Amino acid sequence: MTAFLLRRLGQALLTIFGVATLIFFLQRLTGDPTYLLVPDTATQADIEALRHALGFDRPLWVQYLSFLGEIARFDLGRSVVQNVPVADIIASRLPYTLALAAGALLVACGIGIPVGVALALGRDRWTARILAGLVLAAQSMPTFWSGILMILVFAVTLGWLPPSSTGGIDHLVMPSVALGLLSMATFARVTRTALLEELSKDYVRTARARGAATGRLLLRHLARNASIPIITVAGLEISNLLAGAVIVETVFAWPGLGQLTVQSILARDFPIVQGVVLLGSFVTVALNLLTDLLYTVVDPRIRLGGAR
Amino acid sequence: MAHMLKPALLGAALTLVAALALSAPAAAKDRFVVDLVNEPSTLDPQLQWNPDSYYVYRNIFDNLVTRDDKGEFAPQIATAWKVLSDTQVEFEIRDGVTFHDGSTLTPEDVAFSVSRIIDPKLASPQQGQFDKIVKAEATGPHSVVLTLAGPYPALLAQLVKLSIVPKHVVEAVGNDAFNLKPVGSGPYKFDSWQRGVAVTLTRNDAYWGTKGPFATAVFRAVPDAATRLADIQAGSADLAVSLDSDLAGQLEASGKGKRLYTLTERLAYLRLNPTKPPFDDLRLRQAVAYAVDKEGITEGILGGLDKPIGQMLTPAHFGWFEDIPGLPYDPDKAKALVAEVGGSPKVEIATGAFFDQRVVQAIQQELADVGFDASIKLVDTPTFLKLIQQGAQGGPALAVSRSSCACQDADGALYQLFHSGNPWTIVENKELDGWLDDARATLDPDKRLTDYRKISTFIAKEIPVVPLFQTVAIYGAAKPLQWTPTPNESLFLNRMSWSE
Repeated sequence: MTAFLLRRLGQALLTIFGVATLIFFLQRLTGDPTYLLVPDTATQADIEALRHALGFDRPLWVQYLSFLGEIARFDLGRSVVQNVPVADIIASRLPYTLALAAGALLVACGIGIPVGVALALGRDRWTARILAGLVLAAQSMPTFWSGILMILVFAVTLGWLPPSSTGGIDHLVMPSVALGLLSMATFARVTRTALLEELSKDYVRTARARGAATGRLLLRHLARNASIPIITVAGLEISNLLAGAVIVETVFAWPGLGQLTVQSILARDFPIVQGVVLLGSFVTVALNLLTDLLYTVVDPRIRLGGAR
Repeated sequence: MAHMLKPALLGAALTLVAALALSAPAAAKDRFVVDLVNEPSTLDPQLQWNPDSYYVYRNIFDNLVTRDDKGEFAPQIATAWKVLSDTQVEFEIRDGVTFHDGSTLTPEDVAFSVSRIIDPKLASPQQGQFDKIVKAEATGPHSVVLTLAGPYPALLAQLVKLSIVPKHVVEAVGNDAFNLKPVGSGPYKFDSWQRGVAVTLTRNDAYWGTKGPFATAVFRAVPDAATRLADIQAGSADLAVSLDSDLAGQLEASGKGKRLYTLTERLAYLRLNPTKPPFDDLRLRQAVAYAVDKEGITEGILGGLDKPIGQMLTPAHFGWFEDIPGLPYDPDKAKALVAEVGGSPKVEIATGAFFDQRVVQAIQQELADVGFDASIKLVDTPTFLKLIQQGAQGGPALAVSRSSCACQDADGALYQLFHSGNPWTIVENKELDGWLDDARATLDPDKRLTDYRKISTFIAKEIPVVPLFQTVAIYGAAKPLQWTPTPNESLFLNRMSWSE
């Protein structure tokens, strides 16, 4: 177990180092932010002075080493555009992204898992067919479209919900649904498949032969056995939700990390993009590790790091 | 997994909601909400220069001078100004102006503000707009003298953008802290900056001039234009910047708001490089000018609010002439010229992602129609800016771009683009240099106009550029808002009013 953890930790560090290097050089292929920071009529001297002040006049490898030095000290640098520590900016945006991811996950699991169960248990009924159609529709709608459609219906026409930005919990409803509906379909599908597989197993037939009710069966045995693939998907979906939030956050003017990333890429605010990408890779690596560990809790037969 | 994470995430959500519940909207028009595209980059008026920043900070700070709604210079912190000599201008400073911390605004503050922005140590991106100023001194209880490197007729036009910051505050807290909590003397006070969400200002009830109509003003970041439109329609925002003509049309049609617009001093133009083939041949430069249907572009593509122009200036600039229209749209003449040169000249239209690509595609089509072998080279904005910043020799043969000096003066608009030795320059010509320098070195407006007439005539004849159109700024607004947008894209709250 310890050996396994150490190995995974090493891999994780290597992954993050690779991501850091990649994002550092990729961004620098996309142009010099100095040009975006000066007015239309800036003189050569203005541009040079600003470039020097921002440190972009140094050789690339010097900038790279200083960047690596900074991350080694857990320092993400300062925003080129706002001149505020990147860590402060990310910290101010993170709660919004987490709230949105939580809301979306709630929508995705809250609708997706029951729908998946209904699909599995009633797979031959017409209601299941309609449900399957709805799930497909929800998954097929691009969020930039479903988002603006929701705004037009629920905010502009009906006036039930605020159209954008933040405020109360009502501001969170539409972004959560827009984002959650995408993952909802995934949860429904995985739940259905997992349950169907379990339902076809011998122990279910035996239990049924002994007269066990479906509901009891579901809660006692099926739910637990079917939860392994669902947990795997949840782990993957959280990263997806964080990534998919880019569009939803822009449409709903939700001030999360996704919106920040898009704006920072457009403004070539390298330190912020680096910070967000590093955070994202860190979260993804950590979630993967956590998912692996959780398997052992749910299914004691799984032993990490054992002979495979 | 999901079960373990949910409580933590929900906890975060609830904390957030509790924190935000305090900012629930108030009734009546005490609270005015503006949808910007992005949040301000900075609220220190002497650092970053972009609309989303100055929309906000121009309400917190007073400038030395300003322009009224008609575009004329008007006193603000300076009540009067006197030219002492070719290189010295004295400004009389308004009495009884106080900063938001209660301290009095003095000539020392004015001198400090000028010295600060021209100090290379600040590395202000705006430095180039004020680099003719050598020195600023408080010379009396009510006067400041600016010393210039030479006669500089565009001084007032540039000083419209110079905000006055309090010396004692900036020196006490430092630049970084001042940016986070700016103190000015303007009609609105800084209240809070909820990063990524909104900047809130409150009315300065002790303001010396016209007071603001709203008790608080909230500037929010709403990146998606369709969402800004929906915010106006749903009544959750009162003013939204940067709508295109289609969205503005939707707003009018819905009856839930109105569009406000003004022609700005920003103009779109084609750069033709006279040092590079094929445009080293004047006939082909003329052919391009004849081939482009400016009216077709503004009417057919852009919705009819932008205005075709024939000069590298707009009617909002000092130095613009009614009677220099440039070459008219005449595709037959263009065809004949291309045929005369022979072959099918290969041209690549360089363009950046910031430019409306529908316009670029129309130009490509029009060039192809008259016989050019035209293609589009689209690059991202910083790469494009670097491309056109290589001087006259290094620039691309053909590019479409936009320009604004934010000064409404021909000196700012033309000097960087047409004087040799500048990074953005399109053409190198001794005659042109002479007129530009001459116009810059005299304070006599008539003499300047004579120079600018020569320059605009030269440009119309030699065609290093084809001016395309003056761009419009379209705002979406709640119906009760009364406001006249200005060409310099300012958003002065105390020039607005509200009538239900």
